Amino acid sequence: MTEDRDGERLVHLITPEGADLLFPLASVGERAIAFGVDFIFSQLILILFVLIALATTAITASIQVFALMLIGVFVIRQGYFLFFEARLQGSTPGKRFLGLRVVSRDGARLSMESIIARNVMRDLELFLPLAFSSAPEQLIGPAPWYLRVPALLWVTLLVAMPFLTRERTRAGDLIAGTIVVRAPKTALVADEAIGQRSKIRFTKEQLTVYGEHELETLADLLRKLDSNRATDDDLRVVAGAIARRVRYEGREAVQQPALFLRAFYAEQRAELERELVLGRRVADKTERPQAKPQP
Amino acid sequence: MRFRRDREGEWAELETILERALPRGLRVLHESELSRLPLLYRSAISSLSVARKTAMDRALVAYLESLASRAYLAVYTSRTAERGALFRFFAQGFPRAVRSMLPELSLSIGVFALGILVSYGLVRWDDPEWYFAFVDPSLAGGRSPGATTEYLRSVLYDSGDEGPTGALSVFASGLFYHNASIGLTAFALGFAAGIPTALLVFQNGLMLGAFIALYDDHGLLLNLLGWLLPHGVPEIGAILLCGAGGLAMGRAMLAPGERTTRAALTDAGRRGAVVAAGSVLLFLVAGAVEGIFRQTVTNDGLRYAMAFFNATWISAWLILGSANLPAFAARLRRAP
Repeated sequence: MTEDRDGERLVHLITPEGADLLFPLASVGERAIAFGVDFIFSQLILILFVLIALATTAITASIQVFALMLIGVFVIRQGYFLFFEARLQGSTPGKRFLGLRVVSRDGARLSMESIIARNVMRDLELFLPLAFSSAPEQLIGPAPWYLRVPALLWVTLLVAMPFLTRERTRAGDLIAGTIVVRAPKTALVADEAIGQRSKIRFTKEQLTVYGEHELETLADLLRKLDSNRATDDDLRVVAGAIARRVRYEGREAVQQPALFLRAFYAEQRAELERELVLGRRVADKTERPQAKPQP
Repeated sequence: MRFRRDREGEWAELETILERALPRGLRVLHESELSRLPLLYRSAISSLSVARKTAMDRALVAYLESLASRAYLAVYTSRTAERGALFRFFAQGFPRAVRSMLPELSLSIGVFALGILVSYGLVRWDDPEWYFAFVDPSLAGGRSPGATTEYLRSVLYDSGDEGPTGALSVFASGLFYHNASIGLTAFALGFAAGIPTALLVFQNGLMLGAFIALYDDHGLLLNLLGWLLPHGVPEIGAILLCGAGGLAMGRAMLAPGERTTRAALTDAGRRGAVVAAGSVLLFLVAGAVEGIFRQTVTNDGLRYAMAFFNATWISAWLILGSANLPAFAARLRRAP
C-alpha cells in the first residue's frame, strides 16, 4: 500500500509486531545515482584486483594464479551487491551514500534469499537492454518478427518497470519481494506545552470551543515563534481572535500575547487529550455543539 | 504530558544507539547496547501506537514515526552475525530449494530430453545436414558429419597438445565463467513467463542430441559418453537446475494458483535464485573436471568412474541435504 504526501510517495510496512510504519520510497533517480556510485566503485575494485593478480602472475610466473583470477573476477562481479547488501544491512556503499535501504516488502527480516534474488536479476536487467539496443542480432540471431517483437516488448517492459509500478520495483525487487526506501530523519522538536507555568487559567467552557485542527494551527505558530519567524503582530492578532472567541476576560491576550498563546495551547491540548481518552475525537471547531446554528 | 516525560529517556537512548548502528552496522555496538536494541525498538513501537491514538502533538507523532522506522531498519535488515552462513547455504538452503521445485525440474529435464530426441532423430534418420542447424560451426571445431571416424575419435582422446596443466586451469576457469554466466541468465530469463528459459534448455538439448547422433553414426557413442559425462553430469545438471528455477518463475506467472501472482512470483523467485546461486558451485566443479580431468585422463574406465562418482555425490547431496530423515522414514512406514 502506498500513498502520496507532500510530493513524496510513502509506503506502509507492517512490522512483525503488527505496527504500521510509513517509509518514503526511494525515487528512481536516487536509485540510479546509487547504482552509478556502486558501479564505479565495483569497477575500481575489479581493476585493482586484476592489476594485483596480473602482477602476481608475472612475479610467480604461474599461470595458475591467472586461472584463479578469472574465478575472482566472476565472484567480484556477481558478489559485490550480494556481499554489501548482506553485510551493510540492506545497503551498498552507493545506497549508504544516499541513505537508501532495501527492506522486505512483507515487513519481515530481509532474508539472504531475497538479497540473492534481487541481485541475480540485476545483471540481466542492466545488460540485456544494453546488448539489445547495441547489437540485437547477436542476442536473438536472425529471428523472425514474431519472436523479435515480443522480445523487444519484454525488454522495454523490463527497463520501464520501476517507472510503471507504484512501489517502483524493478524486476529483481519483484521476485525478491523487496522495496528500496529512504531512512527517515526527524529530530524531536521541543514540546510547546512544556515549561509553561503561568497564572493564566481557562475554564472548561473556554476549552471546548476548538478542536484538533485549530490546535495544530496554533502549534505551527508557536514553532514559528521558537525559530523567530513570527512577528509580534501575528501573535497579537491570533491571541486577540482566540480571546474573543472563547470570551477570555483578562488583559494578557493584549499585553503578553506569546505567554497567553502558550498557556492556551498547553491547556487546550490537555483538554483534547482528556476527551480522547474518553473516546471523543474533535477534528475541528465545527464539531463542537455551540458551533451548530441554534434552532 | 506524562506519557512523553516517562518515555523520553528511552527514546533518547534508542536515538544514540541508532546514530551509530544505522550508518555503520550492528557490529559497532557494545554487547549491552545490542541486547537493549530490540527492547527499545519494541518500546518505541508501543510509544508510537499510544501516541497515534492519544496524542494531540503531531510533531511528537511524526518524531515517533521516524524513530520507530529507523529502529526497524536497524533491527530487521541486519543479518544476524551468523557463522558458517555460506556453509549452511550449500548444505541446507540449496538442497532444500532444489527439492521444493521437483515438478519444474522434471519439466526442465523433459524439455532437455525432448531436444536431444528431436535433433538425434533428425540428424540420424532424416538428413545429416540438420547437424548444422543445431550446432554452431565455431563450437563444433571440425566435428561435422563429413569428418572421418579417426578424426572424431582423436578429438575425444586428444590431450597433451594443450600445453602444461597450468594452461588447462585457465581453460577450466574460463569454462566456469562462461557456463555459470549462462546458467544465471537462464534462470533470470524465466521472468519472461519462463519461455526463454525453456527455449535455452531445449536448444542445449538439440545441440547435445546432434553430437550424440554424429558420434553414434560412427559407432563411437560409448566413447563420446565417457568423454562427456564426467563434466556433463555437474554441468548439465546445473543448467537443468537453473532452468527449473526459471520455469518456476514462469509457472508462478502463468498459474499462480490461489495466491496473488505477485506473491507466487516472489516465492518462486526466491527459491529459484537460491537454486541458481547454488548451481554456481556445480559449474565450478564442471569447469575443473572439463578443463583438467577430461584433458588429462583418456582411459574410458576412469572416465566412467568419474562420471559415476560425480552423479553419486551430487544426488546424495541434493536428496539428503538438510532432509528431515526421521520424518521421511516415518512417512515411508505409514505409507501402505
